[in-house]
Amino acid sequence: MAEVLVLGAGVSGHTAALHLRRLLGRQHTVTVVSPNANWNWIPSNIWVGVGDMGKKDVVFPLAPIYARKGIGFRQAKAVAIRPSGDDEDAKGAVDIEYTEPSRAGQSERLRYDYLINATGPKLRFEATEGMGPDGFTASVCTADHAVEANEKLRETIAKLKAGQPQTLVVGMGHGTCTCEGAAFEYTFNVDHLLRAEGVRDLARLVYLTNEAALGDFGVDGMVFDQSGFQTTSELWTGSLFRERDVEAILGAHVTKVTATEIHYELLDGSLHTIAHDFAMLIPPFGGQPLKAYDAEGNDITGELFAPSGFMKVDANYTAKPYEEWTADDWPKTYAAVGYDNVWAVGIAFAPPHQISRPRKSPNGTMIAPAPPRTGMPSGVMGKTVAMTIADRIKNGPSAPSRTASMARMGAACVASAGTGLTKGSAAAMTMLPVVPDYQRYPTGRDVRETRGEIGLHGHWVKLMLHYLFIYKAKARLGWQLIPE
Amino acid sequence: MSQLSMSAPTPGAEPIADLSKAPLPTARTLRVRRNVALQFFRFLSFNSRIMRMVVKGHK
Ligand SMILES: Cc1cc2nc3c(=O)[nH]c(=O)nc-3n(C[C@H](O)[C@H](O)[C@H](O)COP(=O)(O)OP(=O)(O)OC[C@H]3O[C@@H](n4cnc5c(N)ncnc54)[C@H](O)[C@@H]3O)c2cc1C
Repeated sequence: MAEVLVLGAGVSGHTAALHLRRLLGRQHTVTVVSPNANWNWIPSNIWVGVGDMGKKDVVFPLAPIYARKGIGFRQAKAVAIRPSGDDEDAKGAVDIEYTEPSRAGQSERLRYDYLINATGPKLRFEATEGMGPDGFTASVCTADHAVEANEKLRETIAKLKAGQPQTLVVGMGHGTCTCEGAAFEYTFNVDHLLRAEGVRDLARLVYLTNEAALGDFGVDGMVFDQSGFQTTSELWTGSLFRERDVEAILGAHVTKVTATEIHYELLDGSLHTIAHDFAMLIPPFGGQPLKAYDAEGNDITGELFAPSGFMKVDANYTAKPYEEWTADDWPKTYAAVGYDNVWAVGIAFAPPHQISRPRKSPNGTMIAPAPPRTGMPSGVMGKTVAMTIADRIKNGPSAPSRTASMARMGAACVASAGTGLTKGSAAAMTMLPVVPDYQRYPTGRDVRETRGEIGLHGHWVKLMLHYLFIYKAKARLGWQLIPE
Repeated sequence: MSQLSMSAPTPGAEPIADLSKAPLPTARTLRVRRNVALQFFRFLSFNSRIMRMVVKGHK
């Protein structure tokens, strides 16, 4: 009998747990530890943030699904990993603290034979003074944040309706943020809503980003083949900004937010301030604050985790300049450094470096988008590691690892630009691979599969993905046939 | 190399990106983006691209 423990019930962890349960016989246990009672389809939080969907449309309780599938569930947060066990037992263990209201504050040590760390991002609002729902900016990173964002947005719209001009700033709250796609989407959904409410003319809408160029999206931009010519995601994105009259401030590191102003530094080192009436800024992501201890209780956190808090895996972490980065730097198996029964998937693994060219201002401020780990790759990583574990359990510990490198796999990014079955629109992008590979492709990516399109169909795709992935996550009939 | 530059801010002005060189969609492009029948074909084509990527890249 083998015990598999999965930390995190987001895109990657939940996918891994469902596949493990499907692949393993009932004599083996699969247990998920996650502090939230609910599963959240995070991409649709954007629509909650503009009031097109409610919280109930994007979350559902995990416990009934896990009970039906025979997966153990602890509503708790992992706080420490003991990969070599402790003085009582050499078997690996994880310390958890319950968040389930009836057991809040209680802790437990869970043993494992195989461990997947899929704890996603810690939202580091504290990185910028005044940022976040406890400060002066809204967020759409959780369903609750998105509900609040919509409430604040509605107050701004009421002021616009009363004839008061308003400035709305949407973007990235720090020079090292990732997830630019989410801010981009929210910008155009806000634009769509302002138009629908008939108040766009009084509103100034500004996209404030750490990207050095529009269309960078933290993946160093994309080159598309359009009517036989190479064009860039920068021109393509710029076109949408110009058409919708959205202003853009590029290469910005936000230093401080107050109730009325956002202070930022640009790549040229200059310092600026923009007044805001409404702001939604994505925070930088870090790893969850997990500790690690050896069997004697010595702190080995630095061996397992990078300073960012993300878990070190089979990537090449040698520091080297942008020009020397290669596709091979990226992890393939996601096995933790030094432990072949521990893996980190989704946002929880430490990337070897950025994908976009990192830049510093003359003041030494890092203004460099971190690499995005979007839904599709996160799900694929979860499934891949689940298959590795199932192979090991069935065929013995020497079964080879399955692989899924971000330098091989593709991603679809459908950035909603407004809802409505006939009035909606989205900027739909596909890229293959996510991490450019200049040895395989002259433009870094396969131009046949790397494309950007804007139109109503993008909205239909986004809506379809919403229903499809919630169906899959609920493990309904045939869920495994829906790709990650 | 950036194609759409940040305009050098004049003193006191905000450093807003200069998007005047970004191509504006034509009236025809805007119609195509909203045409339900044409968009249905784009929908099918986009989905088949996602599936191709799943087959090609997720191995
Ligand atoms: C607003 C927004 C919009 C987005 N839109 C898109 C999109 O359109 N398309 C797309 O592909 N991607 C999108 N993304 C990215 C996508 O959400 C992520 O790629 C994906 O959620 C990453 O999966 P994950 O499993 O690594 O992390 P998550 O999905 O965040 O899951 C992490 C899990 O770990 C749990 N956890 C946290 N701490 C602990 C702990 N200490 N112990 C145990 N469990 C813990 C959390 O509760 C959660 O269940 C968006 C992200 C945001 C924020």
